[in-house]
Amino acid sequence: MATLTADKKVLHADLSGDSVRAAQGAMVAYTGAISFKHAGMGGGGGFRAAVRQRVAGESITLMECQGQGRVYLAKDALDVTVVVLDNDKLTVESEHILAVTDGLKLDVQFAGLRGMTSGQGLATTSVTGSGQCAIMSDGPLIPLAVAPGMPLVVDPDAYVASTGQMQMSLVSGVTWRSLVGEGGGEPFSLRFEGQGTVYIQPAER
Amino acid sequence: MITIPVDGPGGSTVYDARTLPSNDNVNSYSFCIDLDGEWFTAAGAMIAYYGNVDFSGVAAFASRAAWVASRFSSPLYTQDWVVASGQGKLVIGDRGNDINSYDLEVGNLTIKAKNLLAFETGLELKQSIVPGFLTLIGTGKFLASSVGPVIFVEPPFRADPDALLGWADCPSPSVHYDHNWMAQSFMAGIQGMFGRESGEERQYDFTGAGTILMQSSELLRADSALLRLIESQTNLLDANSAGTLGHKLIARSQQQ
Repeated sequence: MATLTADKKVLHADLSGDSVRAAQGAMVAYTGAISFKHAGMGGGGGFRAAVRQRVAGESITLMECQGQGRVYLAKDALDVTVVVLDNDKLTVESEHILAVTDGLKLDVQFAGLRGMTSGQGLATTSVTGSGQCAIMSDGPLIPLAVAPGMPLVVDPDAYVASTGQMQMSLVSGVTWRSLVGEGGGEPFSLRFEGQGTVYIQPAER
Repeated sequence: MITIPVDGPGGSTVYDARTLPSNDNVNSYSFCIDLDGEWFTAAGAMIAYYGNVDFSGVAAFASRAAWVASRFSSPLYTQDWVVASGQGKLVIGDRGNDINSYDLEVGNLTIKAKNLLAFETGLELKQSIVPGFLTLIGTGKFLASSVGPVIFVEPPFRADPDALLGWADCPSPSVHYDHNWMAQSFMAGIQGMFGRESGEERQYDFTGAGTILMQSSELLRADSALLRLIESQTNLLDANSAGTLGHKLIARSQQQ
């Protein structure tokens, strides 16, 4: 079974004859006998996912790393965190996915208005199943809990991932004052209600 | 259930409204304000919050609360600042830069405008004589970002203007021009005549007693208020000189 270990800004993927899927071009070094190949369209979600991906403007291209040895993965000196999923679902901004192990399925999900406000396309990627998922963030990831009666509001540009049973809604701070340049400074924010965890990075994209 | 392996102390605990630190750093790059009342925050500095927090423009808020005008006396910056009011936990971040909190007690501190992220209402904000810098006077807490950890030094000291973060309790700096450097070598002198510089001749000279804050980077960041300030100062020029300046600026922007 392939294992992912985060070492600050580098991810170690230890392979023993199996494979992991990683963001294309993220390999910085490897030891052993490992082959890299294009993982196909849709990040493994099949043809339908690929079509949706095109429609949503989501850009996630993965490669499959297979063999025996260790692959070092990194991108833009971003911090790496490994999240363990046990028959669960994690929603991640696609550009933040560094690698996923075999047991996980990637699919494109529409996020509606939210994507429009943060200018990141209209979709995010959902990771489902059991395994490890490595996500990247600009600065260490901050997990924030959401519980009934304790909603959370985040900056769309700082949002990275979320998990749990939550409703996401768009809070608009736009008033007529924003039009004359005297806004509240946070024209759109995301409000999470329900039960779950939201992961943010201490930086705006 | 999702679990995150523990990478380091505190680095991976899941925070909620109760466990988030109160007026302390969450990590080196983010800070949590325990909001109960008002704070001035830079527009866009908020990355997340719990509770009932309202963000309104400084001018809009001032129309409701008269004290704001006496605290925020820098009209040039009102567009870039908001008043966060209400109760809750407010997390502040700035493009992944280091964030530190400072306490002022009946003191004054001048800081690069782009690096100031938030301050308590007990402090008064004024524009510094030095363009692009703001002065805080009074008692209270404020947050400032820096590229890399902050370095504290004492005068007499000469600083690179780009790496300078701010200064406290000492007189405003004067500009020091390193003519010795030019005189030392004949070639440098010739280059100087043609307006070529090494980029290190211009320094800020600090004297007296106090503390100077430096950051470990010379990264320049766009400051829209600084642009407005310099633009307003070009009114001092006559039409001819303004045209010459315009040509020089065009040439510079094309070089880069």
